[in-house]
Amino acid sequence: MSSASNSHASAPAPERVATVDVGGMQVPVALTSAPWPDPFLDVETYEPDADAMAINMGPQHPSTHGVLRLKLWLDGEICFKSVPYLGYLHRGVEKLLEKRSYVQATPIVDKNDYVSPMTSELAINMAFEALMEVEAPPRAQVMRTILAEMQRVASHHLWLGTYCLDMGGALGGGAAVFLYNFRERELLLDLFEELTGARFHYNTHCVGGMRHDIPAGWATKARKVLAFIDQRMDEYEDMTRDNHIFRARTEGIALLDPALAMEAGVSGAVLRASGVDHDLRRDAPYAAYGLLDDLHIPTSAVGDCYARYTVRMAEMREAIRVSRLLLDGIPEGPICALKPVRNVNSVKPPPGEVYVGIETPRGELGTHVLSDGTARPVRCKLRSPSLHSCALLPYLCVGATVSDIVIILGSLDPILGEVDR
Amino acid sequence: MAFNPPFPPLAAALLAERFGLQDCPPEGPFVPREQLVELARTLKEELHYSYFVHCTAIHHPGTDELPEHCVVVYALRKLGQGSHVLRFRVRVPQGETTPSLARVWVGADWEEREQFDLLGVRFQGHPDLRRIMLPEDWQGHPLRKEYAIDTPHFPWR
Repeated sequence: MSSASNSHASAPAPERVATVDVGGMQVPVALTSAPWPDPFLDVETYEPDADAMAINMGPQHPSTHGVLRLKLWLDGEICFKSVPYLGYLHRGVEKLLEKRSYVQATPIVDKNDYVSPMTSELAINMAFEALMEVEAPPRAQVMRTILAEMQRVASHHLWLGTYCLDMGGALGGGAAVFLYNFRERELLLDLFEELTGARFHYNTHCVGGMRHDIPAGWATKARKVLAFIDQRMDEYEDMTRDNHIFRARTEGIALLDPALAMEAGVSGAVLRASGVDHDLRRDAPYAAYGLLDDLHIPTSAVGDCYARYTVRMAEMREAIRVSRLLLDGIPEGPICALKPVRNVNSVKPPPGEVYVGIETPRGELGTHVLSDGTARPVRCKLRSPSLHSCALLPYLCVGATVSDIVIILGSLDPILGEVDR
Repeated sequence: MAFNPPFPPLAAALLAERFGLQDCPPEGPFVPREQLVELARTLKEELHYSYFVHCTAIHHPGTDELPEHCVVVYALRKLGQGSHVLRFRVRVPQGETTPSLARVWVGADWEEREQFDLLGVRFQGHPDLRRIMLPEDWQGHPLRKEYAIDTPHFPWR
């Protein structure tokens, strides 16, 4: 097995280093997994040393974080080919959006990325605003940024909890880190509930701004909660970074080549953990990110599961810092640039075709909208970051053991509601 | 804030010089199908659009001027400071195929499969053109305009 050496290496230590052109800049990166495995490997012509076995992992497997089915071809315990099957959660969102007016789209896309609905609705409303050439007022822009960053903290908390749960009893009784993370996430959801009336599917962004204004005393509560979580971040690192089993199961697993990551369209923490320094919040600022001149974008050149963990942990700290910073300076003024809509069919953008991408906790969530001047979009395509992360599985799973595939899938942090749409 | 940023001027100059595409609107130029793969390789290798964003198809039922066709939109991104998106389109008449870009960018593989599944656009040279979202035995392509949203499907509804 040529690529079996990828699994269970105790130290990542990349030997070969190359430079990758990133928008004209030469970025040094470690070459780790090239040449890439062939995802279209013909199994019929493969002659394994031992008996080859094909098994299904999912769609009900608890560590697939939803309903993803992986067909694995195994040689002993080493996987030599994996084929993901999607669609178990396909709800026809894009068809539904064509049949609904622009103001009715927000509650539908809430259910796509059900771990960070704030950024889902922000993405689609920003695309509609670009189509209508409406800009949200400054207060709404800052509110959007704060909510997106707080959502990032909540989303990464859920990721860390379930990731440690995937590792089972190895981490202090399995559910320990998970329950601590949910305690902190609960505080953030309480804040969102106070602001929007809903704990989960907020429906708070609208075309032109926000639907709900910040209630009295909310900023003080939010500052307290963020300070509390910031204090607890060290404890999470103690529980994971300093845990020998956590390190042994993540270091050197699923090394991702930066060139493959860019070609595959992977974004977010997975891309940055492979050494590509790219973040839309800094490189193509939207909402109030342009006001932040010292936004720190954590990267790592290693590209293994542990690097994705370190990048996400650093991102959480940065998100807490940024939201605390912005909470101190929320400008006064209106929260929506448009009047409240009485008839949903009255919102008619001019004909046009736009693409707007924003950086969600999982990466670039884009919306491609084509309008013909009527009250309903002709085509509304959602570019989901999780789909592109899942597309890496045929490459990353080759050479890994079955127990590592659970860890690889967890480190990519896919949300199947967003993959299948 | 530019709502619909213009087509990148550097790429526009190259496309005009090499491929004779004079008009590059922000939505992207229409590329002839026979030039598509060569143009994609040029953008990737010479202008370093190494990041594949997405691929979308839009079904247009026929009108008096244009017969029934699908428009396939590709979007690429330049990474790093001043990151921007480049889009180009290709028009596929009903019943014909378009070259696949899955061998140029790995990310085009699943995106093109999704467009084939939901809109019935056939990508020639795609290594693994199967349905991705819907079951293998599904009838029709749901995102086409003639497909009613309440089409019955046994045994689901």
